[in-house]
Amino acid sequence: MIRLRPTALVALALLAARGGRVVATLDLSSAFPTTIERDLGNGLTNVVAAYVTLAPDAGGDPTALFGRVIEILFDVWEETYAVTVKDPQRPEGVRLVLRDFAALRRFLAMEHDVDLGPVSALPEGPFHVDARVEVNPVSKEQLQRTREYIANPAAGTRTAGGTRSVLGAMASFLLREPDSGSDVHLLRSRSFHAREVAVR
Amino acid sequence: MRGHARRGVARRVLGALRVSRFEVKIAVALVVAATLPLFAALVLAGRVAEENLSLGLDPRAVDRLESIPSLYGDLFQARKQLYAEQARAVARGLPRRPAQGAAYLAGALERTPRLRRVAWYAADGRILAEAEAKGESPGGEWREAPARVSLPDGGRLECVFAIEARFFAELGEARTVAELVQGVDALRAEIRRSYVRAFALLLVAWAAIAAALGILIARRTTRRVTALVDATRRLASGDLAVQVDPGRSGDEVAGLARAFNAMVREVRDSRDRIVYLEKISGWQEVARRLAHEIKNPLTPIQLAFQQLEARWREAPGQDAAFGKLLADAGEIVRDEIATLQRLVQEFSGFAKLPEVKAEPADLGEFVDEFVRTSPQIAESAEVAIVKAAGACPVALDRALMRRVLANLCLNAIEASRPARAHIHLGVARTRDRAVLTVADEGPGIHRDVRDRIFDPYFTTKGSGTGLGLAIVKKIVLQHGGDIQAGERPGGGASFAIALPLAAPEAGSDRGEGAAAGEAHA
Repeated sequence: MIRLRPTALVALALLAARGGRVVATLDLSSAFPTTIERDLGNGLTNVVAAYVTLAPDAGGDPTALFGRVIEILFDVWEETYAVTVKDPQRPEGVRLVLRDFAALRRFLAMEHDVDLGPVSALPEGPFHVDARVEVNPVSKEQLQRTREYIANPAAGTRTAGGTRSVLGAMASFLLREPDSGSDVHLLRSRSFHAREVAVR
Repeated sequence: MRGHARRGVARRVLGALRVSRFEVKIAVALVVAATLPLFAALVLAGRVAEENLSLGLDPRAVDRLESIPSLYGDLFQARKQLYAEQARAVARGLPRRPAQGAAYLAGALERTPRLRRVAWYAADGRILAEAEAKGESPGGEWREAPARVSLPDGGRLECVFAIEARFFAELGEARTVAELVQGVDALRAEIRRSYVRAFALLLVAWAAIAAALGILIARRTTRRVTALVDATRRLASGDLAVQVDPGRSGDEVAGLARAFNAMVREVRDSRDRIVYLEKISGWQEVARRLAHEIKNPLTPIQLAFQQLEARWREAPGQDAAFGKLLADAGEIVRDEIATLQRLVQEFSGFAKLPEVKAEPADLGEFVDEFVRTSPQIAESAEVAIVKAAGACPVALDRALMRRVLANLCLNAIEASRPARAHIHLGVARTRDRAVLTVADEGPGIHRDVRDRIFDPYFTTKGSGTGLGLAIVKKIVLQHGGDIQAGERPGGGASFAIALPLAAPEAGSDRGEGAAAGEAHA
């Protein structure tokens, strides 16, 4: 399990207009120090979820929200990182293989093509970009697997098919999604004005 | 009509759903009793869930589990290094002439464990020699593990080793388990909370079941209590026919219902007795006045006619027909005066019934004595007595009770005429009563008149005043008893007199209801 400290850092953000939409590139490297190589290379599936919002400095609701989930699995035989990226544009996920941790870190640190809505929706006043990076949050799949496990712990073992516990089944039904915990990084960009959004 | 029926059904349903305060109290008591210990269990459940999670998710075990893929990584690294070394060893032994390469490589396949295929390439990429192992790998299913060695002449040697496929399967399984444990560990607090929630839900369900059960149990009692309350209200409003069903239960409520029924019967009997005695008193007053009014003119009438007859005897006239008429009239007047005098005598006897002066007696012995000292009865009828084995101690006025028995026996004799009467006298006892039955083998009493035969002046006979049975009933009631008219099995009338049992005399037999006894003819 990766443990990162939940701090608010300033993220380097580049905003551009492409096809009438605001596209951001974010530097999230502060959320991924080099020390996490051991954790991300542990041979288990690790998940990084990044949620990016665009909100006026004056306060109020964000005008845009973007989410991206990255699954990382280090292949201990091939010694490569298999990465699956899912976001609103690619809900089915895009798979790619990265040769080493350096490549992985570069990939994670720079969030490209972050869609922050139409240019016309940009606030009139100054605004900023917030990024919330969660490392290994409990995913819906993980929650479902855990529910199945506590409903029938013997499933998948040699004693599979044993009696299902009523209490376990009820506990499984009543299991709720937990808080994000401490593996959360909050990052905020500097202030922008709409005129700074360059057209590409 | 349908609307009325629906409203009736709705009322019944609402009535069934209405919960009384008593039911609520019992339900609350049951819920408290059933769930109070479970609240402690709820706290314990949270602790047990936490401890189980702590046991199952020992950080050392979780760490070891999560490190399994890394261990496989180390294993794969070691295998790769081994295969690289073995490939270099094969490369070092390559012959100078490629023509000997195939034989050498075949030998290398034999010598080198897990080497499945080897190819010797020239610098220009041509294959100089190659060999491939036949048959199954000793390690079972396998995956290819390539190892390449660059040769000094620019060529290369490519080896393919076999690595057991089960390693990858085991790695996948270990990863699945480790990720599951990782998820459970991450959800640890939530899992504990969900178990507590589940337990609390079961607790609520259990409390609801206990409450429903409590209401059901309470309702079985409260319905009977409600029925008793309703019956008491009806009794208070004057309904003495009210009775409640005590049910089959033997609990206190059933006992209360039985006591209530007995009390109502007692009240009803007392009321009937009082009403009857009041009615009899009224009729006694009427009889007294009638006797007085009739008796007074009888003597002057008798004297006046006697004077008339005396005068005619002293100076009989020439009219012989008048003399005969006077003689006939005198006979009629004397007969009718005699009849009226008997009537007056009966009315007087009825009006002047003495008060009961009861004294202890045994009913069986009393009946024996009555038969023994009543020869006129024995002359006119065959009398049989059947007595219970035990004593029947009662308190009775012997003279009045003799009158009761005499009246009933005379009725039986008259009813059996012209045949000789057969009278059956029976003495038995119940739990708290002594029962004397007088039955005959006559035509019996018609069911329609049974309720009226004890009314004064009611008679089914051509002659008679209809006072005999009224006198009988009054005497019996004054003894605290009761009399019922019915049918004798086999035909005939039967009168059952129930008298309260008196305190038994010392040494008397208390055998109940035994029918065996002596019989007298």
